[in-house]
Amino acid sequence: MSDTPRDAQREYSDALREYLARPNEPALRRAYEIGRLTLTEGLGVLGIAALHHQALKDVIPEMSVDVEESLLIKRAEEVLIESLMPFEMSHRAFREAITVLRRMNERIEEEAKRIAHALHQEAGGLLASTHLALEELARDLSPEGTERLSLVKALLDQMSEQLRQLAHEIRPSVLDDLGLVPALQFLAEGVSKRSGVPITIEGSTDGRLSSTVETTLYRNVQEALNNVIRHAKAATVHVIVTRETGAVSCSIRDDGQGYELSTVLASHEERGLGHVGMRERLDPLHGTLLITSSPGHGTELVMHIPIEC
Amino acid sequence: MPVSLEDHVDIRNDDDIIAARLKGRMLAAELGFSAIGQAMLASVVTELARNILDYANDGELLVQVSEGSGRRGVSIIARDRGPGIANIKIALQASYSVAAGLGLGLRGVKGLMDTFDIISVPGKGTTVTTVKWRL
Repeated sequence: MSDTPRDAQREYSDALREYLARPNEPALRRAYEIGRLTLTEGLGVLGIAALHHQALKDVIPEMSVDVEESLLIKRAEEVLIESLMPFEMSHRAFREAITVLRRMNERIEEEAKRIAHALHQEAGGLLASTHLALEELARDLSPEGTERLSLVKALLDQMSEQLRQLAHEIRPSVLDDLGLVPALQFLAEGVSKRSGVPITIEGSTDGRLSSTVETTLYRNVQEALNNVIRHAKAATVHVIVTRETGAVSCSIRDDGQGYELSTVLASHEERGLGHVGMRERLDPLHGTLLITSSPGHGTELVMHIPIEC
Repeated sequence: MPVSLEDHVDIRNDDDIIAARLKGRMLAAELGFSAIGQAMLASVVTELARNILDYANDGELLVQVSEGSGRRGVSIIARDRGPGIANIKIALQASYSVAAGLGLGLRGVKGLMDTFDIISVPGKGTTVTTVKWRL
């Protein structure tokens, strides 16, 4: 491999040569440090494989014949294990980080649920009481006063509608109560009404999925639909939810102008199209995102999330 | 090479790290750890000793047999009289340093071992106690 530094190769070959001839701790330490350095300098585990392979090719022919082959193989393995150990640590840390992220995501959704509920129920309740108090006040007012009061009521109604909308956007209660597909239908209706683009929702989750999976799919469809409306100039959008064995997938297909994937992915616009956010939501669930698009042929996003049975 | 079941190594320089690694590895071998298990303990010793040299200049490692609820394992205690870690939570986080971000250092130790405790008193020093059970 050309991207492994030369002195790392020399160092690794030296350590292996020394250890094959006579097992000793300093040689193992050297192998460990080479692995550590390789990791911190951003070279991958394949770099170590290449170092090890090249070192074997360098060192084995030089070996005197008096060491048994099986013993040599065992010693070479010990050197390799040392150089891979930093990668093992790193791997474990990343796995743990993913678990932490997943839990954090769940907490954020819980919090969103709480805030949405407070907005809808508590603030909504206060508004209702305000309406009642105004009714009472209206009885004592002149016709002119009543008219002015109706203006206040109209404003209150607007506010109430905004609160309801906001609560829904933060956390759609229909998602918790009825599940993914009804929530998507509800979402699609709202987006259609606002944009004038017809959106169909098809398919089924075949029973409820875990709250995290449902939320992830919902948020990603929400983001995808927003993208379509904002950028795609589409005439129609189709969303299909499919339950497979051990997985659920969801596709969002539009007949809009499409785009050249390579150019969008190369520039930082990918961020603007929300794919980064979608991937970030899918990652903790080991989900994947597949994007198919070309100018003039619309765009299809397919999300795939494995589900433990 | 005979190894006593209880041992401590002063950590003042790089050679001490080698000595401590050897103690960890041999004790692990004695308890029947696999080659990978032995290498894990050697790595843990290395990271703890490196921490001592980097942040406290000197300290010691104790490599011992640990027994509890019918199992045996290797316990490693790292002690220094350095400045202490002001914020342990941050020290274990990915953003703390390049090495921590990659899961090395204390984070790496935590990931390889079964138990991990750290006590640090600012101005007095730090003690890390960690055990790996032989399954």
